[in-house]
Amino acid sequence: MICGVRFCGGCNPRYDRGKALEKIKEQNKDVDFRIAEEGETYDHLLVIGGCTNCCASHCQFSTREGLTKMWDEKHINEVLKKIDEIKSKEKAKQNIK
Amino acid sequence: MLMTGDQYIESLRKLGTRVYMFGEKIDNWIDHPMIRPSINCVKMTYDLAHDPQYVDLMTAKSNLTGETVNRFGHLHQSTDDLRKKVKMQRLCGQKTASCFQRCVGMDAFNAVFSTTFEIDKKCGTKYHENFVEYLKYVQNNDLIVDGAMTDPKGDRGLAPHAQKDPDLFLHIKEKREDGIVVRGAKCHQTGSINSHEHLIMPTQAMGEDDKAYAVAFACPSDVEGLYMVYGRQSCDTRKMEPNADVDLGNKNFGGQEALVVFDDVFIPNDRIFLCEEHEFAGMLVERFAGYHRQSYGGCKVGVGDVIIGAAALAADYNGANKASHIKDKLIEMTHLNETLYCCGIACSAEGYPTEAGNYQIDLLLANVCKQNVTRFPYEIVRLAEDIAGGLMVTMPSSIDFNSDLEVGRNGETLAEVCNKFYAASDTCTTIERMRILRFLENICLGSSAVGYRTESMHGAGSPQAQRIMIARQGNINAKKELAKEIAGIK
Ligand SMILES: Cc1cc2nc3c(=O)[nH]c(=O)nc-3n(C[C@H](O)[C@H](O)[C@H](O)COP(=O)(O)OP(=O)(O)OC[C@H]3O[C@@H](n4cnc5c(N)ncnc54)[C@H](O)[C@@H]3O)c2cc1C
Repeated sequence: MICGVRFCGGCNPRYDRGKALEKIKEQNKDVDFRIAEEGETYDHLLVIGGCTNCCASHCQFSTREGLTKMWDEKHINEVLKKIDEIKSKEKAKQNIK
Repeated sequence: MLMTGDQYIESLRKLGTRVYMFGEKIDNWIDHPMIRPSINCVKMTYDLAHDPQYVDLMTAKSNLTGETVNRFGHLHQSTDDLRKKVKMQRLCGQKTASCFQRCVGMDAFNAVFSTTFEIDKKCGTKYHENFVEYLKYVQNNDLIVDGAMTDPKGDRGLAPHAQKDPDLFLHIKEKREDGIVVRGAKCHQTGSINSHEHLIMPTQAMGEDDKAYAVAFACPSDVEGLYMVYGRQSCDTRKMEPNADVDLGNKNFGGQEALVVFDDVFIPNDRIFLCEEHEFAGMLVERFAGYHRQSYGGCKVGVGDVIIGAAALAADYNGANKASHIKDKLIEMTHLNETLYCCGIACSAEGYPTEAGNYQIDLLLANVCKQNVTRFPYEIVRLAEDIAGGLMVTMPSSIDFNSDLEVGRNGETLAEVCNKFYAASDTCTTIERMRILRFLENICLGSSAVGYRTESMHGAGSPQAQRIMIARQGNINAKKELAKEIAGIK
């Protein structure tokens, strides 16, 4: 699974966005997290905002399984859950094949 | 092409910019200890544009070329772009605690773009086309451009044409088939030495008599006839001291202003954006000033963030952090700082498209923003000085803190004496405490005070300039009608 990552610009983040990504990566060694680039298609897009506004632009990126936005450290668990869901879906698809 | 910070520094080495300081020509100004911190600030605007954690603010897609460009070279395409500009400036202020010098160019681009469009429409000139080609060149090469507006102005009571010395306002000296020759100077030019290019605008609205002064153009910083005289700052020569570190407060970053002299500089036709159409000088000034007054709702807020953090650390290190008045002062500093940010965001959110298509800020709110900036940073540093205590201006030098010289009856060294008497809370070393106090000294009354205090006062126009705009935009008659309606007056 390839997960695109887009950070907001970080003008006044309320938590360490970089560390949050590291924590998410630690729990998902099998996922390929890549800084999102236009022209690529990702399985999922993770948008990491620094505050409730979560103003990162993301419409320019394409994904197969939508996106998840986080803007608080407390959202890490939800992100992990979402990634697990997508992984299970993928597994199920592979089993059918 | 987005340059890296290192490529930016190398690009400066290729320029032949003429710089004078302390009565001498400075050939290697790039590595000069008094100038380098200001170059590092500009470098930060390049480095952040390559960092995924900041790219969303630091870059944008050019409407002219479709390429990704540094946001400092971008024409605002929406209110979202205007808001992101302010956020980017806050970020750069946080990373440098200094003036990072790149906003004047961005504000000039946006003002010249929309104004030239309207001049061409009325006068049939081709300034807009000239400017679009110029901006593509700037964007494609990721250049730094000094937006230069302020003339020396001589006797403030006299119009440009009425000055004893005509050079006190930059003017057209000669018109030729292939271009113009200009003479004069621009004062207080932020980051001019660190810029690849200069974009010149008139300093005020002009009448028919002043049409020779109604001129806007661009030229390389090392064009023949152009030179700069470095503006000195409070405590600047500390940067020249060997091993200067703690005493500098902000070792790596700083601002820069210079006098830029145009000693008969030739400007080719394709770099001219206004030439004697005096009735448009006021529009250009008003638009540039509007953007620049918005800018201060971002950059000074970022620097304010660092000051508030430093004041909080000083309180921790002094052991006074639990006192209720200290906590309250930190709240007050935050309140003032975020109020400035509110103004920057508000004038952006209320922006509107110009005839040329780029977005302009709400003028009333931008002027309110800058008016607050002429006051709140002063209160923020007053509170920071209160929290820091007197030591920020009375402590010995870092050399004393490290000296082996034996001075005590029992052979105690200067370092031991300093470290003994300036120790405070266990949460820090004495040197850490000195570092934070020196940072506050530097920003409150040292070289960085130029950017945080006096630039807040006069940059983008002195307070009275904003009050004039607030008076014009304040909609008093509508307010009178509201009062009449409520009070039952027909
Ligand atoms: C740190 C710093 C950085 C700057 N960077 C730039 C830059 O990058 N580019 C740029 O173009 N400019 C820059 N400026 C210039 C800035 O815009 C001017 O300082 C500002 O417009 C005020 O002009 P002045 O300094 O000549 O002050 P003055 O015009 O001398 O003003 C001093 C006082 O006199 C009053 N006054 C002046 N003229 C009149 C009058 N005719 N009637 C009534 N009252 C009057 C003013 O309101 C003010 O109170 C910078 C300034 C500073 C301090």
